[in-house]
Amino acid sequence: MTGIGDRIFGLGLLVLAVAYGWAAQQWPEPFGGVETVGPDTFPTILSVILAAGSLYLMVKPDPDAQWPVGKTAFELVVSVIVLVVYALLLEPLGFIISTTLAVGTLCWRMGAAPKYAFATGLVSAVVVFVLFNYALSLSLPAGLLELH
Amino acid sequence: METLSFLVDGFAVALMPHNLMFALFGAFAGTLIGCLPGLGPANGVAILIPLAFTLGLSPETAMILLTSVYAGAMYGGRISSILLNIPGDEPAMMTCLDGYPMAQKGRAADALAISAIASFTGGLIGTIGLIMLAPVLARFALTFGPAEYFALFLMAFATLGGITGKNPVKTIIAAVLGIMIATVGIDISTGTQRYTFGILELYEGIDFILAIVGLFAISELLFFVESRIGGGGKKIKVGKISLTFKELVSTIPTQLRGGVVGFIAGVLPGAGASLGSFISYTLEKQIVGKKGHFGEGDIRGVVAPEAGNNGASSGALVPMLTLGVPGSGTTAVLLAMLISLNITPGPLMFTQNADIVWGVIAALLIGNVVLLLLNIPMVGIFVRLLTVPPMYLLPIVTMVAFVGIYSISHSAFDLYFMVAFGVGGFFLRKLEIPLVPVILGLLLGPEMERNLGHALILSDGDWSTLWATPLAIGLWIVAGLSLVLPTIAGPVLRRKMQAVIKEDPLSD
Repeated sequence: MTGIGDRIFGLGLLVLAVAYGWAAQQWPEPFGGVETVGPDTFPTILSVILAAGSLYLMVKPDPDAQWPVGKTAFELVVSVIVLVVYALLLEPLGFIISTTLAVGTLCWRMGAAPKYAFATGLVSAVVVFVLFNYALSLSLPAGLLELH
Repeated sequence: METLSFLVDGFAVALMPHNLMFALFGAFAGTLIGCLPGLGPANGVAILIPLAFTLGLSPETAMILLTSVYAGAMYGGRISSILLNIPGDEPAMMTCLDGYPMAQKGRAADALAISAIASFTGGLIGTIGLIMLAPVLARFALTFGPAEYFALFLMAFATLGGITGKNPVKTIIAAVLGIMIATVGIDISTGTQRYTFGILELYEGIDFILAIVGLFAISELLFFVESRIGGGGKKIKVGKISLTFKELVSTIPTQLRGGVVGFIAGVLPGAGASLGSFISYTLEKQIVGKKGHFGEGDIRGVVAPEAGNNGASSGALVPMLTLGVPGSGTTAVLLAMLISLNITPGPLMFTQNADIVWGVIAALLIGNVVLLLLNIPMVGIFVRLLTVPPMYLLPIVTMVAFVGIYSISHSAFDLYFMVAFGVGGFFLRKLEIPLVPVILGLLLGPEMERNLGHALILSDGDWSTLWATPLAIGLWIVAGLSLVLPTIAGPVLRRKMQAVIKEDPLSD
């Protein structure tokens, strides 16, 4: 079956539209009575439009895109994990260490030699850190490297 | 006359040393952003917004910085088009057609020089058009009531979808998704919590800056990872300028035509710079006819699209500044900056924040001169930077985006959100759902709801007020037409553009 991507997406959107529209009907009536346009009016309109659009997508989907499989998909997942871990470690480890690791890993996974990749990470981390903390006086977390 | 005195005031703002410095920096950074493939103007401006914020720049300085980046990016796009046959950004793809053949014939330096001059002319024409048209349109926009604004926003989505999107339904879906994200948070008029799920961070709504940076920057990184074009970095030779004065003079009519056509295309909401460069190229080809050798390195084939896209980029500022309705992705990002500075874009801005508006316009004029000076002698620097392989560049750009978002709120929660938006943006782009309407929806959603509410309160709940005035009816008709017509004409135009070069999914 062609257009499977659009069909699945359409189904997801339909679920979203229904949930979104249903949630809008559950809100308590605002204090001071109902105006013509309450907090639920606009979301209700949106959910109807989205539902109509999602039905159209399911009925008349576009041809499928080329979805990444195998190694490419793995690399994508790795990149997203690197970004999430970067966000997670930014404060505990401090900016310089976490950035060196994150930028280094990303460069490396994109095809750079590990030596150059992590060197790029370290240099960019130190430059940005110095620039922000001293030139622009915006504090980035020092983390483990903090001087007590 | 009044305009002239405002403009003089604007120059007084723009010529202040620190503003001038930021304009210079912006022009340089913009050219860089424009010339690096994979870092489009919308993306580049989006990444700089958080920085402008955390630096605590005054509104006019921040806007001057970002508009200089915007103008610079339009200049920069041509460099990689000419040298590598890879458009640095979407509007520059028409420049590949004759720019790359010129470079192959050993006239790269000439192509770069003449395109810089054409960009200057186009930018100048566009800015003059902006100066003349914007105040008139702003005065006209004062007559708009809430119903007209509501219709205008619809029209903006419709035209944007009609021109940029292949499938209008997908544009509608994109816009609705954007507006839906904007409804998260506490409703301003009633205080009802909407879609907050009791999460404290969601009470104030989702910050559109992190949504924009996530959608653009992070999804771009993921696209690069997928396509794995990490290499690059081949040696590029530019050579010496052999452009004759006679040749330069012979392109003047082309420059003027391109600039004017580009400006007009830019003013139309949703059209943006890509269409400007496309139309001016095709027009030029028709005017010159068989005498030209377009596609084989005709100098006019470089001049026309460059004048066109720079004219269009100034033109796209007209609806953004006067109506608060951006005409392209990058102007949408500029609008995001204005809104976060607590400045309501629209006709009142011309009276209430005259120093900002005219400061920005004057900065555009100054920026154009700076860019011309920057681009002819210093083009070698940009060319050298072009050889930095994306596998080093993109992770650093992503890191800068992280730093920017983090420094706004110092919260890791925002960073997770940004990554989530990036992943979402990747899937949307894969499914060919355009991102620009999502962003426009995010920005215009609250305004749309507010205007709908006002209109209905004024009419005491009568929905027909939305199409009660001739102006509102006109806007509805244009909105309807722009959704329907491009389904017929759009594919033809698209196919023509695509026949030329495979297109980048991130619009200008």
